[in-house]
Amino acid sequence: MSHKLTDGGQVMHVGTLARVEGEGAMHIEYRDGKVTNVQLRIYEPPRFYEAFLRGRSYTEPPDITARICGICPVAYQTSSCWAMEDACGVTVPDAIRLMRRLLYCGEWIESHALHMFLLHAPDFLGYESAIAMAADYPAVVESALRMKKAGNDLMDIVGGRSVHPINVKLGGFYRMPSVAELRAFRPKLEQALEEALAAVKLVSTFDFPDMEQPYEYLSLRSEWGYPIETGDVVTTAGKSFRVQDFTKHIQEQHVAHSNALHATLDGGGPYVVGPLARYTLNFDRLSPLAQDAAREAGLGETCRNPFKSIIVRGVELVEAYHESLRIIDGWVDGVPPSVPVPARAGEGFGASEAPRGVLFHRYIIDEAGIIKDAQIVPPTSQNQPSVEADLRTMVEMWHELDDHALSHRCEQAIRNYDPCISCATHFLDLTVDRK
Amino acid sequence: MVGLGSPDRGDDAVGPVVARRIADLHPSGVRVLAHEDPTDLVVSMTGASAVVIIDAVLSPGSAPGDLIVLETGEGVAPLPEDAWARTGRGGTHAFGLAAAVELARALKRLPPRVVLIGIAASGFEHGEPLSPGVADAVNRATAAALDALGVAAPGVPAR
Repeated sequence: MSHKLTDGGQVMHVGTLARVEGEGAMHIEYRDGKVTNVQLRIYEPPRFYEAFLRGRSYTEPPDITARICGICPVAYQTSSCWAMEDACGVTVPDAIRLMRRLLYCGEWIESHALHMFLLHAPDFLGYESAIAMAADYPAVVESALRMKKAGNDLMDIVGGRSVHPINVKLGGFYRMPSVAELRAFRPKLEQALEEALAAVKLVSTFDFPDMEQPYEYLSLRSEWGYPIETGDVVTTAGKSFRVQDFTKHIQEQHVAHSNALHATLDGGGPYVVGPLARYTLNFDRLSPLAQDAAREAGLGETCRNPFKSIIVRGVELVEAYHESLRIIDGWVDGVPPSVPVPARAGEGFGASEAPRGVLFHRYIIDEAGIIKDAQIVPPTSQNQPSVEADLRTMVEMWHELDDHALSHRCEQAIRNYDPCISCATHFLDLTVDRK
Repeated sequence: MVGLGSPDRGDDAVGPVVARRIADLHPSGVRVLAHEDPTDLVVSMTGASAVVIIDAVLSPGSAPGDLIVLETGEGVAPLPEDAWARTGRGGTHAFGLAAAVELARALKRLPPRVVLIGIAASGFEHGEPLSPGVADAVNRATAAALDALGVAAPGVPAR
């Protein structure tokens, strides 16, 4: 919706943005084809998680912070476990890391299958919603629901719940799933993997606006495998640092127009976390199957078109099913589910790759294990400046479009990031002010 | 019969609680499921002649434990736009129960008869048990579900 201003300018206003998690608004000021101001206004109320963690026991963050988000609870559980174990000087055995990775694959599957087909694909196929799209593309939507359900079921088997897992604790798990439980689930994962390969082909046929992001990409990178549950930090500018040094490089600032903090990397411009960053920085770590799927979909070893994030999510979906099968095939019964994590005074750092990008946690605890300080840097607040920069570029590229078409493109540009505003307030209403 | 909700959040557990109650009665011809994520409904409803969904709801003007029953199905009018509009919000990128039912309709997978039994809830605190009003409604909701499914089970008080 738009209206003229008395000074000859124009304001465009689009209602609360659908198909994103949480509540916010977008404001764009526009003069003679030039964008003068773009603000992503997150009005989802602040949630004060970091404040109310202070004074709680060091064992509680995996369960408390999981409740920040219903779509990426495993990310919160995993990053908080790494951080607390780091503070306590405990390193968990490889088997526990592997089971964290398997649980995390379940979350990636749930999140990516939902976002690709129920939230993002309607943008490309010209539908208002997945429900409208389903009438014309029933096989696609049904396949998406089956792929997502495989993720829900995997979360249930490993985590005890399909939404907020209850099986995660510091040092590992309360119980390990048995080989029999995992193997019984194999056929569903195999079918979902085949459907994911078909899904990558399908989304690669969508029309993609021609756009390349110049921003620095940041992701984790591990000594083996595609970055999911852990890794050190790397960027496309060649920076590399340990998670322990995250806050030396990433600074958060409050901006007046948003309840979410904005993050900057070494004081520079916008940087991007999430599927495009992971893919571009870790193509060599994908399985040959996922690499082939990417090549067949027309992707190179890097991808800088934010609209093509839907293809990259598909490639990551392939990787998540493939990796789940690999872990299940190698699993043996009798692995102790956890190791002790006795409290000691200290500071700890942890990061993992949430479906939408790096999620960082830092805690300071005292000798009794009481939390003295907590810091959580979610992916959406790191991506906010780049979302704003994308919108600035796109509004200038497409200023000839009418308000309806322009606002649709802008909403699509925001959904490219699969933003999770509930996580970042720590979304969307669009106003465009034209002159 | 599907009980929807998180078992760990106060009155939200009432869907799974009623589901377990019905499963224990072993009614013939009824498959009983508990889900946290409404999107799973679309897959699990497929092929059923009727489905009854039980979920905790917030309903202004209702007392905790009141039953609010809506009925839809293939060939029947869609749910009103505001029906249970907020169900499932916050957890699954705003993809709630009403959206799951309408998605199933668009996919031509909606059973001929879909009965949604809402139980007016009062609290969703983490780790809390059912509130007294909602705990009192479990028998009534179980009877209503069995009635809607057209099956008789011994020992369940009538509504």
